Amino acid sequence: MTALLRRYRFIVPYLLLTPGLIWLAIFYVYPSVQMFISSFWSGSLERGFTFSLSNVHNYTDALSRYQDQIVRSIFFAAAATVATFLISFPLAYTIAFRAGQYKNLLLFLVIAPFFTSFLLRVISWRTILGDDGLLLGPLKSAGLVGDDVRILATPVAVIAGIAYNFLPFMTLPIYVSLEKIDKRLLEAGQDLYATPWSAFRKITLPLALPGIFAGTLLTFIPAMGDYVNAELLGQTPGTKMIGNVVQSRFLVNNDYPTAAALSFILMAGILVAVAVYARLLGTEELVSSAG
Amino acid sequence: MSEQHPTLVTRAMTRRRMLQGTALAGVAAFLAACGTAAQSATPSAAPSEAASTAPSEAPSPSPAASATAKPSPAAELNFANWPLYIDQDSSNPPKSPTLDGFTKKYGTKVNYRESISANEDFFGTIRPALQAGQDTGWDLVVLTDWMAAKIIGLGWVETLDTANTPKFVANESDNLRNQPWDPDNNKRAPWQSGMTGLGFDAKVVGNQTATAAIWQPDPRWKGKVWLLNEMRDTIALTLLKLGKDPATATNADCDAAIAEIKKAVDGGIVRSFLGNDYKEQLIKGDLVLGFAWSGDIIQAQLERASLKFNIPSEGGMLWTDNMLIPKGAAHKYTAELMIDYVYDPEIAAQIAAYVQFVSPVKGCKEAIAKNADKSVAALAKNPLMFPDAATLAKTHIFKALSADEDKYFNDQFSTLQGN
Repeated sequence: MTALLRRYRFIVPYLLLTPGLIWLAIFYVYPSVQMFISSFWSGSLERGFTFSLSNVHNYTDALSRYQDQIVRSIFFAAAATVATFLISFPLAYTIAFRAGQYKNLLLFLVIAPFFTSFLLRVISWRTILGDDGLLLGPLKSAGLVGDDVRILATPVAVIAGIAYNFLPFMTLPIYVSLEKIDKRLLEAGQDLYATPWSAFRKITLPLALPGIFAGTLLTFIPAMGDYVNAELLGQTPGTKMIGNVVQSRFLVNNDYPTAAALSFILMAGILVAVAVYARLLGTEELVSSAG
Repeated sequence: MSEQHPTLVTRAMTRRRMLQGTALAGVAAFLAACGTAAQSATPSAAPSEAASTAPSEAPSPSPAASATAKPSPAAELNFANWPLYIDQDSSNPPKSPTLDGFTKKYGTKVNYRESISANEDFFGTIRPALQAGQDTGWDLVVLTDWMAAKIIGLGWVETLDTANTPKFVANESDNLRNQPWDPDNNKRAPWQSGMTGLGFDAKVVGNQTATAAIWQPDPRWKGKVWLLNEMRDTIALTLLKLGKDPATATNADCDAAIAEIKKAVDGGIVRSFLGNDYKEQLIKGDLVLGFAWSGDIIQAQLERASLKFNIPSEGGMLWTDNMLIPKGAAHKYTAELMIDYVYDPEIAAQIAAYVQFVSPVKGCKEAIAKNADKSVAALAKNPLMFPDAATLAKTHIFKALSADEDKYFNDQFSTLQGN
């Protein structure tokens, strides 16, 4: 066997790729094709659906009908990504450079919430953010905020929920890239009379960019399609995201064509956004320079 | 028809095999699958065939055949219901005396799951199997009138062998019999009925008796009002507020109701559209006024005594949730036994005393009144559980929407909710 493999060495990478490719083919390519076909359907559940390329108007109809939700999803996802970054970077920086013996403990704490179910975590935020909950209750009784102030059922609740749920996806990649930085580079900078701030700006930040890039993608992409936070913390017509529309079109209204078209619009939107972002940050050079 | 059998067997087997995983379980499943396939194929048409061709259903099986060769109760029964919709042992909460009694009587293990929180959502989960003519994995499901009518219309339920359900035949409330969508009274059995009206925290908002309150930007409830995400309930109460009858609703009426609700949403009065989970937020105080289901409020009063339910002066709704046996169910006979069992007035009283909706079983009121526990016996006088003629006169029934109307109403209602 090993002799055989040695002889046909070129085949090894393909063999290694096979499990992943099979997985992708069954759980990604096949459903995507299926979904693409149903996005060109017309008809209803009772009468049956028929395929026709002329149903491309499913896409334009969906775009114009749900543009509010699409724009809102982009905004919520972007805001949540920025919020996660602002929380994660100082956190990752502290863990990487200042935590000393507590490094592993802190890293563990970052992912500790993931030991409870995603749904449970979101639902407990509902208790914390409630109108008279842990956060607002004391503020209201102290007279610091008005009685009619609420956080639940507002965009703030949804953005905060998303930011909370994706925090580790931002923190860990940034931590990894900061961890790899050779401390001697910073010392060299200081020797050359760099202030701490310019050393940070010229050395630390550029070297952390691959981590920041990976972190933003890992946060932004799933946040765009998220519907649980909007469903449980938003719950109001003005906070529904595109994921909620897809869910309701699929399961409540049996409107498979629109749901499928929206899914592809979402996918295309994310691809374009990521392409532009990658272009701006020029990742490939970054990755190679860091690695 | 006989050619259908092998496919039925392999389908059932592969599905089970996938679930169980091991080869050994596969053998057992093969035997079990043979049994169920034969059982379900004799009393009714093969599911795949009936589902694709005849929405109006093949003739029901001859009672004589089942009388001679009576099947035995299966080892398990898969029962899907709504949350908090069956009695629970107060000292041992997930245990239900009713279900335990059934297990004791027939030796059947009941896999009772609170899997239904919205008609459309649950239907979405069983539809692919029904469409493909396969077993949905459920033997008994509980769905509201209009959804039951829709599934019966699609030909996706088993016809009850009423010889197996004598108590259902004898004890079903007269006003629920022979619905237009089930003229022979053998496609469904009512589980509980209930009313939709106003639910509120009287300590915060006072006693509210009119739906119109929801349109008033009163600081006591502005931003803390919810509406139900069941389209029919919310549209109907709004129609009644507008002086229109939900029994004759047209697309134009729907538009009017949507426009009316939109005013309250845009005015910041209505906060959200919810299913069963309004109860939790009402108890917590994040919500104080909205459209509610009668039994929910009676149950929630245990946790917050100031909660109250009123049938609005403009009118409320009356609805029924029905037990259905999905087409191709593996344990149809056992499901029929369960239907018969819960139509025993004593059992019905046991369930009603806990869920506190309107029982569809004759004799339930008398059985409750006889209860040794005075607080339970007093429930027999509760007008929300045993509505008198005056209460019933204030309730309405939603009309049976055509497929086109259904789509139109749901579409408008989805848009209103922001999805």
